[in-house]
Amino acid sequence: MLKPLFAALALTAASLAPVSAETIRVGMSGGYFPFTFTEQDKLQGFEVDFMNAIGEVTGDEIEFVTMSFSGQVGALESNRIDTIANQLTITPEREAKFVFTQPYVYDGAQVVVREGNEVGINSTDDLSGKSVAVNLGSNFEELLRGLPNAADIDIRTYESNIEQDVALGRVDAFVMDRVSTAQVIAKSPAPLEQAGQPFSEIRNALPFRNDEAGIAMRDKVDAAITTLKENGKLAEISQKWLDADVTRPAGEAAPAN
Amino acid sequence: MRGLDLDYMAGLVPVILGYVPKTMAMASVAMVLALALGALLAIVRVLKLPVIDQFVAVFISFFRGTPLLVQLFLFYYGLPQLLPTLSKIDGVTAAIIGLTLHFAAYMAESIRAAILGVDRSQWEAAESIGMTRAQMLRRIILPQAARIAAPTLMNYYIDIIKSTSLAFTLGVTEMMGAAQKEAAGSFLYLEAFLVVAVIYWLLVEALSFVQRALERNMQKAFAR
Repeated sequence: MLKPLFAALALTAASLAPVSAETIRVGMSGGYFPFTFTEQDKLQGFEVDFMNAIGEVTGDEIEFVTMSFSGQVGALESNRIDTIANQLTITPEREAKFVFTQPYVYDGAQVVVREGNEVGINSTDDLSGKSVAVNLGSNFEELLRGLPNAADIDIRTYESNIEQDVALGRVDAFVMDRVSTAQVIAKSPAPLEQAGQPFSEIRNALPFRNDEAGIAMRDKVDAAITTLKENGKLAEISQKWLDADVTRPAGEAAPAN
Repeated sequence: MRGLDLDYMAGLVPVILGYVPKTMAMASVAMVLALALGALLAIVRVLKLPVIDQFVAVFISFFRGTPLLVQLFLFYYGLPQLLPTLSKIDGVTAAIIGLTLHFAAYMAESIRAAILGVDRSQWEAAESIGMTRAQMLRRIILPQAARIAAPTLMNYYIDIIKSTSLAFTLGVTEMMGAAQKEAAGSFLYLEAFLVVAVIYWLLVEALSFVQRALERNMQKAFAR
């Protein structure tokens, strides 16, 4: 008898209540140093600190879900996760499908070769006739395919371990974001070096599903990113993992605190 | 030529061992389900039940004729685009379902062969004392078929354990996934994959030992 009444009351209460704490399920590969990786079974990296900081601001529970990079977009669409924290670059194709927060990393695409650069790559023009490894489904694959000489490049897609194949000489070069390559070269025992200048400016942000709930979550998280930019926390996380502040566009000064 | 980082490997062993229960739980659940389904399919095939038999034949043909990885991707990433409710299924469940269907198809064939391997005289003897086909199967034929099929089925269990390593592609962190993520941070691929390989190997060797002991026991029970 009373059940419908209670249900109606509960619904009203729910709509009147402020945005309550929820769980944000965050997809990441767990295999992209220094953004997401594990050490002694502890998931860590730039993205992990960043999302936890977001959770502190919004009061939400952050739940990390690790899966291969190429499966993440599908998982986001099918509501298995709520967002992707894996240095996802804003592209027109992705914007048509998802709603993004403001960028939290500004970066460039970087070619990396075996130490000594015997293959002689100094610009993207030099990639003609060379084999280049990229992560499957990544924006770098798109960038490569968009180069004027794309038809002459042997583009090879991988799920993981691309730097290993360049170090072993199986492929001539790999392309990744510039800040990660600097860290990989510094930390990995593999003999690698950056080749030439970054060839494309990329902006990375968090995608959410383009529906009511997704947009609401995006707005909440976006406000938290603004907070983290203003209070210096985001810059701090960037310094910790990348020895540089990549959280604002090149040439933009840090806000005076 | 660099040497192996033995300290790192020693530190990694407990990490990977921590995922053995998860791998074994997934494999064991899939094994039990695949065995039940496989037996069912085999009985349908042996009794040549009209219509169902054709369906089962196609099912077995598909799941034996396509790679497990393709089946897992179809089920986990593909089908939810058709049936959105399927997206509620998490990676572990999807991996178990995929392993179950895949290996049930193989087991069905093994069990069918085992049933047909029971001597004709056993069927005739059961028939002569007036048993129904169901009674014959349950009381006379299946117990004998089980003994014939046991070694093969144990091999499938070992196969299932190793195949759980594909679950990482569905976002499940099991032994292989854990090794992959550790290697991503340390760049010590050789060490990480060696550790995980050796742990799989020891796991399978331990099971092979149990398998041999069981076989000896079974033979003893039926020694004439």
